Amino acid sequence: MIRFEHVAKRYPGGVQALSDVNFELERGEMAFLTGHSGAGKSTLLRLIAVLERPSRGQVLFDGKNVGRVSSGQIPKLRRKVGVIFQDHKLLTDRKVLDNVALPLLIAGYSWSEIRRRVRAALDLVGLLEKENTLIPALSGGQQQRVGIARAMIAKPPVLLADEPTGNLDPELSEELMRLFCTLNELGTTVLIATHDLDLVERLGRRTLVLKSGSMVDDRISNRSWRGDGGAVA
Amino acid sequence: MSRKDHGGRGDLRAWARRHAYGLLSSVGTLVRNPLTSALTIVVLAIALTLPLGLNTALVNLEAVHDNLDRLDSISVFLELEADEEGARRVASKLSSWRNILAVDPVSPDAGIRELAGASGLDRFDVGDVPLPWVLEVTPNSTVDIAELAQRLRRADRVDTVVVDMDWVRRLDAILHVFSRLIVLLAVLFAASVLFVISNNIRTEIERRREEIEILALVGATPGYIRRPFLYSGLWMGLGGALLAWLTVYAGLWMLSAPVEALAATYGTSAEMIAPSVQALGLMLAGSGALGIIGAWIAVSRQLARINP
Repeated sequence: MIRFEHVAKRYPGGVQALSDVNFELERGEMAFLTGHSGAGKSTLLRLIAVLERPSRGQVLFDGKNVGRVSSGQIPKLRRKVGVIFQDHKLLTDRKVLDNVALPLLIAGYSWSEIRRRVRAALDLVGLLEKENTLIPALSGGQQQRVGIARAMIAKPPVLLADEPTGNLDPELSEELMRLFCTLNELGTTVLIATHDLDLVERLGRRTLVLKSGSMVDDRISNRSWRGDGGAVA
Repeated sequence: MSRKDHGGRGDLRAWARRHAYGLLSSVGTLVRNPLTSALTIVVLAIALTLPLGLNTALVNLEAVHDNLDRLDSISVFLELEADEEGARRVASKLSSWRNILAVDPVSPDAGIRELAGASGLDRFDVGDVPLPWVLEVTPNSTVDIAELAQRLRRADRVDTVVVDMDWVRRLDAILHVFSRLIVLLAVLFAASVLFVISNNIRTEIERRREEIEILALVGATPGYIRRPFLYSGLWMGLGGALLAWLTVYAGLWMLSAPVEALAATYGTSAEMIAPSVQALGLMLAGSGALGIIGAWIAVSRQLARINP
């Protein structure tokens, strides 16, 4: 589903965010992406959602080289990827309902359908009673969950999350991870960037480790090592 | 997004809904920022009032000009031999003509006094040059002046006929200059409308930068992002045009009494001519189109920055 081939990303100014990253994420797989802050986790996710283009190598999404898609094709691609941002990226002057509805509004769903699905999504993240609340009135954790509801509402085949549990207490984090697992079981490919190693260990999923822009580890939880950065078939 | 996800209702309805959401969003923005919107519309209205107001003034002056033709008089110089009695006889005969409204005989003495007054001299010494009686003929409004002059020339005891239309021609020329000036002004102010709206949308985009970015992040097409701004541009253009029209209308209403009074001194009545429905429609369409174009320019420039 997602495949990185010798991907490097250098930002203007000379910062090398990623260098020669190789890995593949199968359709329906769920994996964690860990590493210290500044290791390139966010950049890697941004490359998948075409928020950045790689400086070298190719990022393949569903067999398509996303580094090469025309800007006219970008929106189409982004709709296939639900992204949960570290800084939420919510419309702060709108209600929860309007924020979660965005992907459906863009797709042109009828308002009644949108209402129904927004309520279902908010129910899933435990924010049903906050439907008409303005974003600034929510706590950091609640805002994070609004972002999650928005990312999954249009049922994209791929879900990317950048530190989704960063602002949440352990209980909520656990609950959220279970939600991701559920979505994964329903067929969504999930990639979660996090530094919450405890959580990663407990879930025993595939873990990709970035260090200074290089993929230094690719393993299942803490148990089985699978080489030192090579692609996994 | 597959068709199935729309519940099988097809892409056309989804498209229509996206448009409706864009329209609602633009209205929402205007309503959320009433002061900014109002200020922009007022600035646009002022820019549009000037050409529209001048054009209305021109239309009214042209109407007055048409009326003035009739006030234009013809000077009929009688033969030198004609004395007062003869002049009055010719005058009464001419005043019975269907095309003539009034005939006013001017004696040679009165003619000299008038000439002296016009030249600013106390005494106007014409020596022994004899002056004839002159009949000031006021034609009917509908008459063809040239043809009437021709007929007068053939009349009894008439020596020369002078039609003084110079000032009418001059006014005509002035009005032409004026109308050309209005075209120039209209072009200038149309450009200013474009810039005001474009600049306003640009500021609005800057303010909503985050929102645009978020929309792009969740997969909105440039068209979807652009649409609310285009509608905003349209509303501003239409609002400005409408307000300009109301302003001109109010101006006409305020001027109508003094103009009526002025017309009364000329013994006529004057009805102010308001801009026509066509003019209003043209201005609304033009201003609205300029609004959309202005917004398009502003949004396209910003969008290019967001999508890498």
